[in-house]
Formats: sequence, structure tokens, C-alpha cells
Amino acid sequence: MSFIPYEIITHKRQVCSLYKKACRTIEDWYHYRPLMRIKIVRLRKRFDDNKNIIDVPTAQELLKKGQHELWANQHYYPHQFPSSPGGTAFDRDCFPPDWVLDSWHPLEKAQYPKYFAKREERKKEYIALWEKRWGKPFIPHDEH
Amino acid sequence: MASFGKVLCGTLFTNPCLRVLSRSIGASKCYLNQSKIINNLHIQTCTAPVAGAGSSRWYSNTTAASRLSMIEVETRVLKTVMRHYSVKPPMTIEQIKKRVLLVLQLYDKVNPDKLSLESHFINDLGLDSLDHVEVIMAIEDEFGFEIPDEDAEKLHRPKDIVQYVCDREDIYD
Repeated sequence: MSFIPYEIITHKRQVCSLYKKACRTIEDWYHYRPLMRIKIVRLRKRFDDNKNIIDVPTAQELLKKGQHELWANQHYYPHQFPSSPGGTAFDRDCFPPDWVLDSWHPLEKAQYPKYFAKREERKKEYIALWEKRWGKPFIPHDEH
Repeated sequence: MASFGKVLCGTLFTNPCLRVLSRSIGASKCYLNQSKIINNLHIQTCTAPVAGAGSSRWYSNTTAASRLSMIEVETRVLKTVMRHYSVKPPMTIEQIKKRVLLVLQLYDKVNPDKLSLESHFINDLGLDSLDHVEVIMAIEDEFGFEIPDEDAEKLHRPKDIVQYVCDREDIYD
């Protein structure tokens, strides 16, 4: 879930992200490699020209303009990495979560007695660890 | 020939020239196959089915005669030097280290003499943050998966990248 932003994104990271997306957009539009390279080099020149701007409003204005330009030049069918969201192999390999083992039938569990005995111990250890860190969970009275 | 193919596959990701070559080979092969299929279709429409062997498929005599043997099919399909995303080649930590270092050595702003797994991109190699973005993009292209910005800005050294790729591909030896 590293695609969801949980923090304030700094100006620097926004600029880097803009540069990356712009490069990828150029790669989408131009498949002839020398042309693509020269376009990216020119783009880099534009970024480098403005890298010493200290004035915050100007920098933000430039960033906004850049983002708008990126949006205006977006590709209709951008390249996606297979395992990224939108890619062909996104979520192809899914691993069953750990709690699935708890839903086994007792007869099934009985076939692996050693493992499940150890598992019960580990669950108790984990609960103790959780309560040590976060305290007892608050369970309100069930009053109807 | 088979061993040669394996060697090619092994060196595929470490040699950029081969990678570029392989793309063009793959494209021309597809084109050849398509034209062959179209030719076969023309023959198929104007001739009778092949008798015998209890097959209900309609093939002309020429098509049936020119059907490829299993070995020929394998040489055509399996020896195509391309990157397949369905199956990944087995990787080790050593290979990943070599690939990461190779990508960095080929980057023109990095001095290969100063480069090592421990060298810091910004302090030791003198890259700025946009160069770092370019490095990360090269790594993405090399390994074929996306590195989000949040993770990318924590990758300061080549060894961090190696560790990240190993974690991502679940490689521990």
C-alpha cells in the first residue's frame, strides 16, 4: 500500500516526481530512442534552469505550470509496469493471509499437531506484545 | 544450440547491446510468423481437408507437409531472446549486485572508478536529486517493476537498491 500518501509531500519530491512522470510521458510519445533522449535532455535543461530559485511562490507557480503541462501532454495509453496498478500482472500472485490457517477444520489441524501447537504459543506471544505496546483494547459494554 | 540459448538468456540482462538486439529480433520474428500464417490461410481456403488419422482439422497437403516438427517449434519459440514477464529467470543476490552496478556504470554522470556498493549517490558520486530520479528510472527499466517515490528517496546507495530489489523479488541467497 505504498501508493497511498500518508504524509505531506515536500516540494522537492513533487519536483522529482514531476520530472519522472514527464520523462515517462516522453518515453510514451517518442519511441525513436535518439529523439526521446534529446527530448529528455531538453526537459532536464528546463528543470536545471530553475533549480536555484529560492522564492517559494515563484517555485510553486512553476511547479503548478509544469504539472499542468504534464497533464496537457499526457499519453492516451501510457506504459505500465506489469506489476504496478493498471498493469497486466497487477495482483496476479496473491498469497493467502495468515488467518486462513485459523479457519481450518480441527481434523485438518490435527494432521499437523506440532505446527499448530507452536502457532497457538506464537499467537499468545503476539497478543502480549501488542498489549504491551498499545495497551488493552477498549471493548465497550454491550448494552441494548 | 540449446546451451547457446541458455547462455544468451543468462547474459541477457547484463548486456545492454544484447537487450537492444533482442528487441529487434523479436519484432522481426513476429512479423515473419504473421506473414506465414496469412499465406497458410490462403492455401487453406481453397483446398480440401487432409484425409486420414481421424483428424477433423482442415489442412491443405502443402500445409500438412510443411508442419513444423516439435524441435523446430521449440527453436522458434523458446530461443527467442526476449524478456518474458510470465516467468522470471532465477536471480541471486550476486547477480542483482552486478546488474545494479552495471546500470550505474553505464550512466554517464557516474564515475566508474569511484563507484562501489557503499558509495552514496549524492555525497560520494556527486549526483543531484534529478540524477537520482534518472538512476531510479534506469533501475526500474532494468528490473521491470516500478519503484514508488516514497521508497525511491530512501535508496541512497547501490546496496540499498540491491536490498530493495531482493526484498521485492523475495531473494535471500
